[in-house]
Amino acid sequence: MSTDAILTNAPRAGAARAPASRPISFRTVPTAFLIVYSLLLALAVGLGSTYFILKGDPPFGSLTLGPWKAWPALGSTSADPYMRAILARRGDVPLAIGEGLGFTATTDSDGRALDSACTYRVGADTPAARLWTFSVYDQNGRLLQTELGRNSFTSAEVLRDGQGRFTITLSRSLQDGNWLQLPPSGGFSMALRLYDTPGAAGTGLTESSFPVIERVECGS
Amino acid sequence: MRGFGRFMIATLCGLVLAAGVHIISILAMPYLAEDDAFAKVQPTLTAEKAQIISAPGGANTWMPRPDPAVAVAACAFDLRNGPMRISAQTGPNLLSLSFHRESGGVFFAVTDRAAVRGELEIVAMTARQLDEARAAEDENEPSRDVRIVAPEQQGFLIVRVAAPTPSQRPQAEEAVKAVSCITEQAE
Repeated sequence: MSTDAILTNAPRAGAARAPASRPISFRTVPTAFLIVYSLLLALAVGLGSTYFILKGDPPFGSLTLGPWKAWPALGSTSADPYMRAILARRGDVPLAIGEGLGFTATTDSDGRALDSACTYRVGADTPAARLWTFSVYDQNGRLLQTELGRNSFTSAEVLRDGQGRFTITLSRSLQDGNWLQLPPSGGFSMALRLYDTPGAAGTGLTESSFPVIERVECGS
Repeated sequence: MRGFGRFMIATLCGLVLAAGVHIISILAMPYLAEDDAFAKVQPTLTAEKAQIISAPGGANTWMPRPDPAVAVAACAFDLRNGPMRISAQTGPNLLSLSFHRESGGVFFAVTDRAAVRGELEIVAMTARQLDEARAAEDENEPSRDVRIVAPEQQGFLIVRVAAPTPSQRPQAEEAVKAVSCITEQAE
């Protein structure tokens, strides 16, 4: 009788124990694991996205006029947290809204990336400003260094035609007129800074008043 | 299936937390960044004249994308020692002053158009110092200072003077260096 009872109860007891113990082992280890997993995921995704955003340009508040891009709020009290974080990381000092507005271009007017193997023509007009400067930079944000030594034009020194329009030619080989020499290779970017301009807040500026960046030809 | 459901919940929790981590790290960045503009201009804290940080020509500067046609000088301030008086002489070329907070961001800017008889005189102070200055003021002889209230006690001033042609660069450099920023002792 007793052996019979043991024989019949043992598997039942075992069966009763198994489902009771399995969920416990199923829950304790994975719960800890899942918490660690979600914390790691939070750190990786959170810091990764911050790093990714800080490497680039401010994600909001940009003003795009053809190839030219600016962030008018960058130099005002209404700069958003992304702008302030990016400024801090770059160690940059933006132009304040009362001082002017800086535009950058990394593509030509057709949207192709600027390449120093090509020849570009930039002109013919800029929005009203007391002074504007046009300069070219390499990919690390330094002024382009060439044999000629010139890497910028200002509104006071640029040569103009009879109607007051100008054309700046960027190429590796000698050109007449306003010529900026390009280095042998690599990408570059342009900056157009409007100092003391009525359009510094980004209002009243139209694409047609900005210089067109025309790619003329691409040499070997 | 149940394990998969729990995994999805953990992933969701992770993503929600990630959004929090992202927001906190972005907001903390201006305070944590060690080589931001304020850190770079901090040595100018005790100087009584603005110090060149980017000479015209754009060589040898920590500023990213410097404008070669503009001379830039900086002057850090700490208003805990008293208000700071900035005086600048304007010349034929564009001169502009911008005031930046320690944690980044402009709070005031002015160009030489606002100058009176070729002089720009501005006093940067905290809200409390402004109250004290107003209280100490003689009603019959109101102060003619342009007073601006700084949102933070520390910050820096950036002076820009344009050099429209390369021959005017030495002149622009002299003009930015001539801007004085002197801490006034509290009365």
